[in-house]
Amino acid sequence: MRPAGLNRDFILIGENIHTTRVLLRNGRRVAPSPDGVESVLFENSAGETGYLPIPEELKRRQDYEEGRVKHVMIAVLGGMRGDPLSLDYLRVMAARQIARGAGYLDLNVDEISHRLPEQIAAIQWLVRTIEEFSSVPLAIDSSNVDIILAGLDACQGRAGRPLLNSASLERSDALDAAARRGIPVMVTAAGASGMPSNAADRVNNASQMIDAALARGLDAASIFVDPLMFPISVDSEFGNHCLDAIRELRARYGPAIHISGGLSNVSFGLPARKLINEVFIRLAVEAGADSGIVDPVANDLHAVFQADRSARPQQLAEEMLLGRDRGCKNFLRAYRKGELSATL
Amino acid sequence: MPELHDIANEFIRQEIDEFIERPDERARIIGLFAKASEQMQAIAAALIDGDHETVDRLTAEAIAAGVHAMEVMDDGLIAGMAIVGIKFRQNFIFVPEVLSCARAMKAGMVHIEPILSAAGIEKLGKVIMGTVKGDLHDIGKNLCIMMLRGAGFEVIDLGVDTSQDRFIDAIEEHGANILGMSALLTTTMPNMGKTIEAFIDAGLRDDIRIMVGGAPVTQDFADEMGADGYGKDALACVSLAKQFAGKA
Repeated sequence: MRPAGLNRDFILIGENIHTTRVLLRNGRRVAPSPDGVESVLFENSAGETGYLPIPEELKRRQDYEEGRVKHVMIAVLGGMRGDPLSLDYLRVMAARQIARGAGYLDLNVDEISHRLPEQIAAIQWLVRTIEEFSSVPLAIDSSNVDIILAGLDACQGRAGRPLLNSASLERSDALDAAARRGIPVMVTAAGASGMPSNAADRVNNASQMIDAALARGLDAASIFVDPLMFPISVDSEFGNHCLDAIRELRARYGPAIHISGGLSNVSFGLPARKLINEVFIRLAVEAGADSGIVDPVANDLHAVFQADRSARPQQLAEEMLLGRDRGCKNFLRAYRKGELSATL
Repeated sequence: MPELHDIANEFIRQEIDEFIERPDERARIIGLFAKASEQMQAIAAALIDGDHETVDRLTAEAIAAGVHAMEVMDDGLIAGMAIVGIKFRQNFIFVPEVLSCARAMKAGMVHIEPILSAAGIEKLGKVIMGTVKGDLHDIGKNLCIMMLRGAGFEVIDLGVDTSQDRFIDAIEEHGANILGMSALLTTTMPNMGKTIEAFIDAGLRDDIRIMVGGAPVTQDFADEMGADGYGKDALACVSLAKQFAGKA
């Protein structure tokens, strides 16, 4: 896609079809259906309000009791049982992301179970299901290589080669699988025995992965790099660690390689997450990223690059993300005064 | 029963009035502060404010003036942290602010720990902490460790990607009786269950209490694996450890 206000393409990897995704029970999208069943509201493919009932077995889970509804998990579990409403829910989720410019749909079912056979059954079902109505290729995402490989096995690639998400120094066998299948791969900056602690670690780890991918015959345009963004709430230098690594990797490997990654992690532990995420997408792209794993429904990429960066909420978020607001103090003060709300 | 106006420190009164909504918690916290000296209330206030320099100075002054180290810990630092925990749970404050408070707690504990150990006052207990095999995430685990140490536990940190054998060896080597395991990934979470099984196979399960936590972990999952407890955040981790040590 070409976001308005940006003079180059951005490969948007839509992250919405993840079983981790939650809605708040007291939010707008959870309400009783006309026959009184607590449901997830959505606009169905006929353009009417659909009601996806929350099954009783999910109500016994802790996240529900704490006020969160795992709506994608409900739809995947329902869909696997052949429930047409669940299938429509997933179809609409795919279509909305594609309409917002998604070039890949990222699929992750890790949380559906903690048993590998169930996770494998779910990813294979989801891959086949989404592929049937998606006009863009899939990204097969898991923290377990076996789940990724099972997902890839189920994928026909009818809308394009799937993206393997992800390989890293601690699981380089995933890289072999990508090379063998000739498919694009996301490589992360995780180390062989720990997370990177600065920009240099990230560049070092990611470079080893990129070099290994190139050595296995993958072309630069098939390599996506996730430099790993950690929450700015934990350390005010985390933004710079990631952005500096993006700059260095772009300088080192030139324009063909894709620099991407899960960008919404940046705002964990803070309020006004949409604002923070959007400003960080812009900063990452300015540093040299040309892709991102994002929620295109929440974060309209066309708005991201046209936002008034001199507006106070944008400024506060930018200062915080660039390490100039220790402990996020100014940002949180402004939040409490209601000064960020104009953009929410 | 103590009332809000029995607390001398205005900042503490305001904090309770504004942020502590549940009646049972409100009564408990008011009781806690009503019996604390003004000096201890001031330490708690600085801690709640995340002001580590003031906590450092006031704690040193109190110790120099002869206040017992246990009193500073209980009535100043831990009492302050009780308010912080509730504010965080209710979304009145956010992660950066909790971290500032934890740093302030640590600044106070620097003065208290040597006195408690010199006086032969034992730590609350010894805890072995680690992220399970295959998982490299440690931000949440490190936060738990900081809070456990602040609360008076001795903590041995095994880091990330911890094998079953390393957990078992550490328990035996340090003679610890509490084990905390963390996982951030659904796919590494089952390694908690495997570690618990390894303790059973080694004949050590009955000697220790096991607590688990991390984003994808739930009470249901903890029960199913046979853990003794689940903590949804660092503060819950501390109260579990206290319960296991018989000091709740």
